[in-house]
Order: sequence, then structure tokens, then C-alpha cells
Amino acid sequence: MNLAICLLLQDDHEITIEELETRYNTSVTKGLTSTFASQVLERDGPNELKPPKGTPEYVKFARQLAGGLQCLMWVAAVICFILPVFMVTSAFSLQLYLAITLISVVVVTGCFGYYQEFKSTNIIASFKNLVPQQAIVIRDGQKNQINAHQLVVGDLVEIKGGDRVPADIRIISGQACKVDNSSLTGESEPQSKTPECTHENPLETKNIAFFSTTCLEGVATGVIINTGDRTIIGRIASLASGVGNEKTPIAIEIEHFVDIIAGLAIFFGFTFFVVAMFIGYAFLEAMIFFMAIVVAYVPEGLLATVTVCLSLTAKRLARKNCVVKNLEAVETLGSTSVICSDKTGTLTQNRMTVAHLWFDNHVHAADTTEDQSGQSFDQSSETWRSLARVASLCNRATFRPDQEGVPIPKRLVVGDASETALLKFTELTVGNIMDYRNRFKKVVEVPFNSTNKFQLSIHELEDPLDLRYLLVMKGAPERILERCSTILIKGQELPLDEQWSEAFQTAYMDLGGLGERVLGFCHIYLNEKEFPRGYAFDPDEMNFTTSGLCFAGLISMIDPPRATVPDAVMKCRTAGIRVVMVTGDHPITARAIAANVGIISEGSETVEDIAQRKRIPVEQVNKRDARACVISGGQLKDMSSEELDDALRNHPEMVFARTSPQQKLIIVESCQRLGSIVAVTGDGVNDSPALKKADIGVAMGIAGSDAAKNAADMILLDDNFASIVTGVEQGRLIFDNLKKSIAYTLTKNIPELTPYLIYITVSVPLPLGCITILFIELATDIFPSVSLAYEKAESDIMHLKPRNPRQHRLVNEALAVYSYFQIGAIQSFAGFTDYFTAMAQEGWYPLLCVGLRSQWENVHLQDVQDSYGQEWTFSQRLYQEYTCYTVFFVSIEICQISDVLIRKTRRLSVFQQGFFRSVKTHPKHASLGIMYLNSQSYSITIYRVNSVSVSFQWWFVPVPYGILIFVYDEIRKLGVRRYPGSWWDQELYY
Amino acid sequence: MAKDGEKSGWKEYIWNPRTREFLGRTASSWGLILLFYLVFYIFLAGLFTLTMYVMLQTLDDHKPTWQDRLSTPGMVIRPKTDETYEIVYNVENTESWDMYAQALDKFLAPYNNSVQAEKNNECVPDQYFLQEDSGDVKNNPKRSCQFNRTILDLCSGINDRYYGYQDGKPCIIIKLNRVIGMLPSKDGQAPFVTCGAKKEDSDKIGELLYFPPNGTFNLMYYPYYGKKAQVNYSQPLVAVKFLNITANQDVNIECRINANNIPIGSDRDKFSGRVSFKLRINTIN
Repeated sequence: MNLAICLLLQDDHEITIEELETRYNTSVTKGLTSTFASQVLERDGPNELKPPKGTPEYVKFARQLAGGLQCLMWVAAVICFILPVFMVTSAFSLQLYLAITLISVVVVTGCFGYYQEFKSTNIIASFKNLVPQQAIVIRDGQKNQINAHQLVVGDLVEIKGGDRVPADIRIISGQACKVDNSSLTGESEPQSKTPECTHENPLETKNIAFFSTTCLEGVATGVIINTGDRTIIGRIASLASGVGNEKTPIAIEIEHFVDIIAGLAIFFGFTFFVVAMFIGYAFLEAMIFFMAIVVAYVPEGLLATVTVCLSLTAKRLARKNCVVKNLEAVETLGSTSVICSDKTGTLTQNRMTVAHLWFDNHVHAADTTEDQSGQSFDQSSETWRSLARVASLCNRATFRPDQEGVPIPKRLVVGDASETALLKFTELTVGNIMDYRNRFKKVVEVPFNSTNKFQLSIHELEDPLDLRYLLVMKGAPERILERCSTILIKGQELPLDEQWSEAFQTAYMDLGGLGERVLGFCHIYLNEKEFPRGYAFDPDEMNFTTSGLCFAGLISMIDPPRATVPDAVMKCRTAGIRVVMVTGDHPITARAIAANVGIISEGSETVEDIAQRKRIPVEQVNKRDARACVISGGQLKDMSSEELDDALRNHPEMVFARTSPQQKLIIVESCQRLGSIVAVTGDGVNDSPALKKADIGVAMGIAGSDAAKNAADMILLDDNFASIVTGVEQGRLIFDNLKKSIAYTLTKNIPELTPYLIYITVSVPLPLGCITILFIELATDIFPSVSLAYEKAESDIMHLKPRNPRQHRLVNEALAVYSYFQIGAIQSFAGFTDYFTAMAQEGWYPLLCVGLRSQWENVHLQDVQDSYGQEWTFSQRLYQEYTCYTVFFVSIEICQISDVLIRKTRRLSVFQQGFFRSVKTHPKHASLGIMYLNSQSYSITIYRVNSVSVSFQWWFVPVPYGILIFVYDEIRKLGVRRYPGSWWDQELYY
Repeated sequence: MAKDGEKSGWKEYIWNPRTREFLGRTASSWGLILLFYLVFYIFLAGLFTLTMYVMLQTLDDHKPTWQDRLSTPGMVIRPKTDETYEIVYNVENTESWDMYAQALDKFLAPYNNSVQAEKNNECVPDQYFLQEDSGDVKNNPKRSCQFNRTILDLCSGINDRYYGYQDGKPCIIIKLNRVIGMLPSKDGQAPFVTCGAKKEDSDKIGELLYFPPNGTFNLMYYPYYGKKAQVNYSQPLVAVKFLNITANQDVNIECRINANNIPIGSDRDKFSGRVSFKLRINTIN
């Protein structure tokens, strides 16, 4: 990775302060001189993230107007414009009409696409918000507050709790400085920052604070080593913009499909152009035919239908807490085969909670559910009372005021994660801790520090007559045990002998093995004589007993999994989706949580487990025997991409722990190399490259940073893994339904095309006009095709494997062939039957119609004879032609009613699926919708679209064909169901 | 690399020698699918033919099911030039009007008295010549009334071979399009044609002479029973002779039918119930 190399080259954290001073020509006491600073500012530019040079907006817009179909329509529109210039024709306004309609179709769909793209590509915009406004800088020995973007490399800056770190800083001095790196690394645990270099990797070392992270507490001074785009976050940002936005599978599908359609349209158009020329039509006439065929063949309404279907699903998902930013992502989600999930907050509740207690030589499980609905443990023991007292008193965390109405687990707390967990736990079990603490007045306390690894406080007792002091202590279990000489068992103080020591060790290992953070608790009543009331306790000197204490018990804490997650993971498994955990946490914790939620299933072993079980070295274990695998960031760094691919291939259950910021991207890339469609969850800024690279990036709505949300395709409002599974289900459903919708949309292209073919070859009066075709495409057929998006699944889609995007295509040969050459053919026959009926009943017998075109369309012939000897003027013939358009239109619509009914299912009988169930739930649904729209469109057409009202009986002529479509499709489905795998199934199932 | 792969992929798609597949199907697979479509389309074509047959059976041979498009019959003039409704000629230049005269000769040939006498009956004028069927018994073939060329008098081309074109007094013949069953009348009398100039040309049109007198279409020529029943139907004509039309100027003329029961046609159709044309007679002086 580029980034990794860049980082390795930089040694600013390793060199001495003197070297640093000379390198940046600065002083750690006085800072830069103002003049030099301004020079550097000139050289390096301001300290801010530059938005990457994007494609100009007009180019983006133009690109939307220049797709395959769009180009075709442009050509058609231009032909429409040009033709009237050359031809003296009364149809001038008609051509103009058509041209304008075509152009508006292109422009409107183009605007739609542009808007979609615009929404999904403004990722960098959010980085601007990360830049802090002000920073305290020391220049010329003076402390100044200046705008953060004026900072330069070598500047000496001061940060304090609450500030945003203004640039990448090498810490020179610091006091209890803690930084929240979550926006960078995703780790929610605050990192302490000290002047010492602790790691060769700049990302791991403690003496560098990063741009855009937040200082939580303490103060620090440091020298700026990177500004602007050269900061770590700047590089990640440029990395994110460097990662190409992968095209979603459905985008590829549709593009692929549109190319075919456009190609076919040109092919058909050109063929008939040649045929027309050959038959003897004039060049311009042939051009009109070409254009008309293009208009007839291109499914103008398709893009709109697909977009509307997807946005409907997106809406439905939004109600289930998934906000879809990029519409096409909905369907991608359905083809997802791997989900790389974060642990913290996504799989877990993102709050430390007391999970287990060990006292009286027993492990007790605490209630970790979000709503405290679980079982509690036995609290009758005397030991528990002591342990609870220590836990309550030796705790600096406090509730924020005015939260009486809030449930305890949700209350806001001032204090670190473990103390918060303990506070809430004791509040739940003991009750009213604030009051409890007041009763045991605190005399002195020694806060936790990394050398002691314990925290203690000394309290007066509740009973005013008892003048002893109580010392309570908590800390790392082994350190606590060192200081204890007795242990409390069932309220009795027993000497801490070997046996108890061993019991303690076992319990400690057990709890640690669960991935839990374990704390030890002990106490002692100080001797009244040695430490009388008013004794001056000195926290620094520790002039009091700190050994020979009485051990009370262990409390272990964990961020527990969300209640819904195990089910969701199970669902993923049945749906053939692999869940890979990628976390910054410790491998043991990661593994424990993975096992807990089912990512590592029961009975699955890692290579290490097998080695331990068989008592053989790890190297001798056959890697293929191990289903599960936990890989830490350190191991991952040493692996080649082939090895990583191998690991992903061989172990179905994978957990990545302690992963560094960029390794997520590597994991995603590896999965994609293996042909998976990868969904990735993330919240930190560092996740944005992975989110962009993933086929579908899922950002967390609550914990997620803006950058992550911007890079993502989807946002989970409740941060819940289970919501992803809902998304997958909806995605699969929409794929099925889009298939139905597209099949429906495509069908009518044939009855739209055949009138022209017959018109050109047999020279009958034109049965269907261009405007009427556009009217079908863009008005009457949109609603029914969208209604198919509401169809419920035909089978349990969550029990199928994810579709292979290379094999199971949205539009396959069977679908196109069945729609075009079977249903489409029936519809064409219906249209022509109705057309010839309308002509014959008005006096033009079918045989007379053949070859009639030149007479029929001659503007100057006002007395053309029909089959009965009546004479027709041109206008009367034109009126009759419009009648034919309408009749053909009506036929197509009648057949489409039948079509929308058959498209409800692909395999099941419509009767099995339930005819009208969805009609009830969606009143605007299909069949009724068409009827309604027909009558609506009807009145519009009379005035606008050159169609005329037609006698009612012509509505019934196509009905037998409609019934035929329905019956035929039922037969098809029956065959498909009865004889799976047969010739019939292969050829006719789409 | 990729391109090569693609190329061979295409080649393989067209003809795969290994599996003997042409365009992704083997011969038997093609045979089967083509057979399927053959059967399918034969069935569809059969169904189509059947419905067409049934539909044609329901039609009446003598009267179309619907005539709503023809409520206002069209009107046409003769002679008619190829493209437009313009009659422009030069009196001195025989060739410029000779074609009009010839066209009229040809048009009027079937109206020769001898032909009419041979084929058609003499009818009682000024009343409809009704020949209704009595129940199921068809009264076919139906007879037609004579329209003798001589009725057109000066415009018949009998005495004046050139229909007045040679001396700047041209004849225009007007006919009303045939519509089955139409019974036009004006207050119970025969409908008639009137011609007039369009606004700005009203002073140029001069005097007009109609043949038959008043430009009537006699009632006895109606109704029309269709070409199958009434084979020799002679459409009544009206001739208009322009006696002193202004020469060397465009004169726009509109003729319309005057009848109570013929609705005025739509504005869009300039030939329903009326006809417009341009007349320009050029002279040297």
C-alpha cells in the first residue's frame, strides 16, 4: 500500500527532539519565527484538505446525456427536426412534437441520473468540516491563537482536552493527554499520548497525535510534522478518492442490457432502412422508418421503471432503518456474498457492561441485555455485599445530573468505559450510588496510573460510631492479588493459600478467555489506632497500609453483542452469506464475540485450537481442518495477498482482529479477488477507502463519521447488523421483481415494432404512430411495471445462495426471447386483429389495405375508394389512421393487463401466489391501475396524441388474445414446476 | 490478453467445434427450438386467420359497419392537376390548357348519353330513388339513374370541345364523394353547390354559370347502395363556368354544398362539404 510505504519512510517520531528541531528549523520552547513560518506557509500551502480535482459538473451532466440509448434518441430527434425541412408535409407539427418528446425524455432521465451521481460523489465535502477553526501556537516565544489553516510544519502547538488536533503532531511534553482516535482508526478506546516513542509504526506510537482526532483530556505541546493533505488523514482522504467507485452489479447489468438493446435497435432500423430503400422508398422516407423503428424498439420507460422500483425499495428500507444513498446499491445488497462487519457498535452494543463476577469461588453471570430483561444472579451472599461496596466506592464516574427519567443503561456518565460499566452495574444492583457514596465519605483517593495499575480510595464508615477507615481498591487482578493476604468466602475472611490462589487464577483465565476485561477488587478496614480520625493521608506518599488486604472478587466487563445479531448472523448463513468480522479489538475479545454471535459456529476450531487439542505444534496442523481462523493485524501485515486469499478460501469462518486502518481495504480487495460481492460496514474516517472499495459500503448512522457516511452506499440508522440482513432480503426481492418488471416492459416493444415492419413491407396504412408508442412507454405502462416491484417473494429467498452476478443475470436470453418472440408475438397478433377489424368495419377490407399506403398517404387524393365504393378525403383517412393507432394502443394495453398478471410470478401459478392480495395492500396496483390509467390516458389521447375515441367493441377484439397470454403462461409455469430441468424448463424459465 | 480472449470467445460462440455448437446451440437444440417456434407461430397464425375469418363473416357486403368518419362527404373538382388544386393556364398557349380539356373528356366519357342509356334507367326526378330490400330478399343488383352528359350543357364538351378554356371562360366540374346511404337535401329540395371567391378576390371572380341550373345534385341520384349492389352508379356532377373572371391574377375560389343534413366539416379538413382551388388565366394583353 502506498500509504504504508509513506508512513514507513517517515521517522519524525523516532528521532530525538534536537534532530527534530534542526529538521524543521524550530525550537521546542520558542517555536518558529513568524517570518520563517510565513515562508513555510508559502511553500506548503495552507493546512487544510484540498478537495480532489473532480470532473467538472457540466462534463458529468453531459455524460448522463450521452449514454447508448440517449445517443440513439438524439439521432432520432435530430432526424425529426431535419426531415420537415426537406419535405413539404402536413405532418410537420407531428415530427416536431416527436422530436421535443424524445429530447425531453433524454433530458429528464439525464437529470435524474445526474442527481443520483451528484448525491453519491460529494465525499470530500465532509472533510472540510473536520478542520478545526482555531489553534494555540507558540511563535517567537509568544502564545497566539491563530486560524488552524495557517499552521505550518515546525510550529509548536498546544492542545488541551476538548480540542481537535490541528495537524499531525509529535508530542514534546504532555500531561495525562488522551486522544480519541476513533475518527481515524475506529478504536473507541482513548489513546494516551506521551513524549516517548513506543513503536516504530507512526500509527501505533504514542508520541504522535493525528490531525482531526480529538483530545479528550489533559494537555500536550508538540511540533507539527505534517499539515494539510500530507497528514495521515489527508492521505487517507486522497486514498479514498483514488479508490475507484466500483460499478454496482446492477449498473453493469443495465449497461450491458442497454448496449444490446441499442445495438439491436440500430440493427433493426438499419436493416429496414436498407429494405425500404430496396423496395423503392425515397431516402428521406427510409430515414423516417429508421427513426420510427428506433423509437418503437427502444424501451424508453425502462430506465424510469428501474429507478422508480429501486427508490420504492429504498423507501421501504428507510422505514427499516437502512438509508440507501445510491439506489443501485439496493440490488447489490441482494447479491452480497460476504459481509465484512465491524465489531464495536455493529455486532455489539458499544457499551461496556458487567458480564461476569467471581466471588465465593463461583462465576456469576450478570445481565447484559440492552433492556435488562435477562436473569440476575444470586445476591444474597455476604461477599457480594462487600464486593458491591468496593465497586461502588472505588469509582470516580458519576451520572450527569437531571437524568431521573432515563433508564439506567441509557444514562450519560462522566468517566471512562469500565468505571461507567461498574457505576451502572452497581446502580442497578445496589441502587442510588450517589447517595451511597455520600454515606461513605471519601477521605482520600489515588487515581489509576499505569505503573501502579490500581486505584484506591479511603472512606469513613457509614456508622458514625465506627471510627475505622475503609480502604477500597480495584485494579489489574494480578496486582490486586499480590497485595492481598486473605480472601472473602461467604462473608468469612479466609487466609489466601495456594488453593485459593489457584482458584483465582482459573477464574481469571476463564474470564479473560471470554474476551472480557477483568478487574480485581479488595478492601481493608484500617486499624483505628494506627489511623485515627483526622489522620493526614497522603496520596503521593501512600502513608497507609496497601498490602495484606482482603480480596473480595473479580468483575469482568465486555461490550456485549446486540440481542438481534445472533439471529441475523444465522440468517446470513442460511442465505449463503459469509460474515467476516474485522475489528481493531484484541483477538481474544474478537473471537469471544464472534463465537457469541455465531460468526464462529459451535464446534468450529481454529488451527491453534486443533494444535492444543491434539497437542501438536501449530505447523503440523492441516489448515483445511480448521473451519475458523483468527488473524491479527500483525500477522496480516506479513501475509502476501495470495496467502490472504488462501486463508479466506480455506476458512469459512474468519475473524480479523487488531487490524490497522488500511488492512480493512486489503481484506475487502482480497474478498473481491475471490469473486465475492462484498458489503463492508464502517464508521471511522479510516474506513472510507474500504467503504468505497466495497461493492456496497454500509456506514453507521449513530457512530459513523461524516466521511464514512459519505463514502458509503447505505447508512444504518440504528447501527444494527440485523438491519443489513433486512437489506439483503429486500435486495434479493427487488432483483426478482426487477426481472419481472423488465420482462413486462420489454414485451410491448414487439407489438410496437411490428406495425412498422408490416407498414414498410406490406404497405398497409400505418397501424401505430410514434407518439402513441411514446405514450405507452412513458405514461400508461410505467405504473403497472412499477407495481411489480411490490410483488412478494415466490419462495423463501433467504434460503437461496447469493446469485452469481456472472451467471444469473438480470436480463437473460430466456427472458428476452420469451418476452419478445412469444408474449410479444401474441400481442402483435392481437394488435393486428384489432387493427384489421377496425379498418374492415369502417370499409377497408384487409386485402385492400395491402399495398394501399401510397394512395392512403397522398395528401392530394381526396376521393380514395374503399371496399364499398365510398370515397374518402385525406383528412378522413388520417382520422381513420388515428383510429387505428388508438385501436392498436388499446390492444396492447389489454394484452398488457394480462401481461402484468402473468408477470406476477415466474414459477408459481398466479393462483398460488394470490391474485389480489397485493392489490389490497397497494391500491394503485397493476391490473386495476392499468384500467384506470387507460380510461385516463384515453381522454388525454383524444386531444393530444392524435388518437381518437374508439367504439367500445374494439376494446373486446383483443380480449381473446389477452386470455391466450394468461392461459399460455399458466401452462408454461405448470411445465416449469412439473418438470424441473427439462427442455421446457430450460427454454422457458427466465 | 483480454482482447484476444474476447475474440476467441466470440469465435467460439459462433461456432464451437468442441461441442459442435452454433451460436450456443447444437443442431438438435436448434432443431427443437425452431420446431417449437414453428408450431407456436402456426398456431398463432391459425388463430389470427380464424379471427379474421370470423370478423369478415360479420361484415355486411353492402354497407360498412361504421360510417362515422364520413358524415360530411368530401368534394372534389375536375380537371385536377397532379399535385395541387390549381388551374393555371395561358389562353394563347394551347398546350397549357389542352391537358385540362383532355382530362375532362376522359372524366366525362362514362357520362355519354349513349353509355348512360345503355346501362342506366331513367328515373323520376326530384325524389329519392329508393330500392330497399324487402326483408331477407335482396333487391340486387340495384338500378342506377342516368346522368347524361348533356345535362352539363355548355360544360358538357359536346358543343364546345375545349370547355371554354380557349376563350378564358373555363368550366370546372364538381363532384360530391360517394357515401353509402347518404340522403342529402336542402329544405326537401335537391342540395346545390355555390361557388364564391375568397374575401380579397370577390371582385375578380365575375359571373358564374351553373349546370345543371342552380348547381343542384338531383335527389334521384341518392341514395348510393355501394359498388357491389349498384355497379353502374353514375355520380351526379355540377359544372361551373366562369364567364368573365379577371385575367392574369390569382383567384381563390371556394365551392360548398348547400344541404341541411350534411354537417359542416371540421376546419382541419378542407375537402369535406367544400372544395377550394385557385384559378389563374393568363392572357398576353
